[in-house]
Amino acid sequence: MNQQATIAVPAPRALLSRGMRETLANYAYLLPVAICLGGTVLFPILKAMHMSLYHNVLIRPQDYRFIGLGNYVRMVEDPTFWLTLKNSFIWVFFSVSLQFLFGFAAALLLNAPFKGRAFFRTINLLPWIIPGVVVALVWEYLYQPNYGPINDILRRVGLMREPVAWLSNVDLAMPAVIFTNIWRGIPFFAIMILAGLQAIPDDIYEAATVDGASVTQRFWHVTLPMLRPIIVVATATRIIWTFNYADLIFVMTSGGPANATQITSTYTLLQAYTDLDFGYAATLSVILLVIMLVFTALYLKLTKGVESVAG
Amino acid sequence: MSTHRSSDPLERFLGGPVLWIGLLAITLFAMGPFLWVLSASLKTRVELYAAPITYIPTHPTFQNYVEAWTSRLTPFSRFFANSLWVSSVTMVATIVISTLAGYALARFRFVGKNTLMLVFLATQMFPAVLLIAPLLSQWYALGLIDTYQALIYSNFSFTVPFTVWMLVGYFESIPRELEESAMIDGSSRFGALLRIVVPLSAPGIAATAIFAFVSSWSELLFATTFTSQTQMRTLSAGLLYMAGQYEVQWGQLSAGVMISTVPVAVLFIFLQRHLIQGLTAGALKG
Repeated sequence: MNQQATIAVPAPRALLSRGMRETLANYAYLLPVAICLGGTVLFPILKAMHMSLYHNVLIRPQDYRFIGLGNYVRMVEDPTFWLTLKNSFIWVFFSVSLQFLFGFAAALLLNAPFKGRAFFRTINLLPWIIPGVVVALVWEYLYQPNYGPINDILRRVGLMREPVAWLSNVDLAMPAVIFTNIWRGIPFFAIMILAGLQAIPDDIYEAATVDGASVTQRFWHVTLPMLRPIIVVATATRIIWTFNYADLIFVMTSGGPANATQITSTYTLLQAYTDLDFGYAATLSVILLVIMLVFTALYLKLTKGVESVAG
Repeated sequence: MSTHRSSDPLERFLGGPVLWIGLLAITLFAMGPFLWVLSASLKTRVELYAAPITYIPTHPTFQNYVEAWTSRLTPFSRFFANSLWVSSVTMVATIVISTLAGYALARFRFVGKNTLMLVFLATQMFPAVLLIAPLLSQWYALGLIDTYQALIYSNFSFTVPFTVWMLVGYFESIPRELEESAMIDGSSRFGALLRIVVPLSAPGIAATAIFAFVSSWSELLFATTFTSQTQMRTLSAGLLYMAGQYEVQWGQLSAGVMISTVPVAVLFIFLQRHLIQGLTAGALKG
């Protein structure tokens, strides 16, 4: 204490009030974002947590009552919930891994020097920007058993005899929606990996070539290690996004047939839309949030905190 | 990456046949579905349901477009106007809100700034279904069902966290000295933001603007849940409504799909450079 007292201290009052004024002015810049996210994200999430503690079915308002963790108990005992978790895992695993694989291949092709590259890039990245409902309806049409071209082409080529109802077959519906999701997601990985490829300095490749590295050696020892950070970021965000994504399945199959394509996010939607059970829907959405937060925490730990992502 | 005159036969093979066959395959895969829908949208009703299906319309007609655009049951002209209004207002408001917030986070020192950045990052990953039930009861209580406001405010929940996060990075890359000298010359901080920082970050702001517009244009769940009148539906909600009719009109639906797709596709074709640079900048720094 004595040692500190010897250091000159500026007049505290004036400095404090000026600092206070500045701080207040600075916080004013954050006021709009605070109001906007408070009203559309923070408050609704608290509200969802609150709703999850009530028996709240819209068509039976006389039954509205506090039931504590009743909805959570119901969820644990609900076999469909566990089925949707398993389906979500299949949906995410096959969608993301194949999007990555084909997206990587597309990025390598679109990074090669050739005439008309800009044109090919644009049309190959286009599916990325198409509204989800459009993707879903287009593919519903492609899969259509009588007028759809997929059945027609497979029969003309001789791979199939009878038309197949892709989206209403218990065994084929999930592969069919995943295939659609792959089509939709390839451009995302292609864009990310293409950006990563362009950021690799040419002289690294030149040095490797001078040292006699073959094209495959350059891929494994230069390209892949240099792309590692962007692959981690792209894959992790894509996993979370795909886990949450409901539009495609909701439009194409509504989770059917017999819950064959029901993932947790579409199940949550259906509880609200079809059964009008807002209490249970809120419960499922809170669990989705918890799963998402755990995964995000793991991901941030993997990438060593926000700095390495935020730059 | 791979030079044309290489002595490595594998490299020449990869740069030659593999490249061209691969390009052909991925391009066909990416464009095939669009071409099918474009073709279907130009077919007559008879041809749409003809037994051996055709791939190129024999008597191309714009009838499906006219019917979809002027239909009383599913008026795509109205859906289009609704989408345009909701997406434009969301875009402008998102830019204003996130420019202010992004600037503050890039320049000022706050208690818990890193926590706040983490919140913005985490919010981007929230499932939309989480917000459906609470927002519905909220908009219902405020009397905002079947209004543009409900859709615009709801869209903020996914546009703003991402655009703030993107703009913080942009503003940080602009040297402080430029604003500081303007402020010494008598400009206020806000004036310096408007006259110095905003023009310098125009590419970043443009990228966030396209992002906000395109993601609002595609939004489906909020638009379906918070509107009940046909007159208030956006293109996405209108398409879903049309597909849910007792008999799916594939011709009109295909025309509707093209109407919903073409504006964002055109935006993408002309502005993809900005958009892609903006969206990948954050991930690349990692």
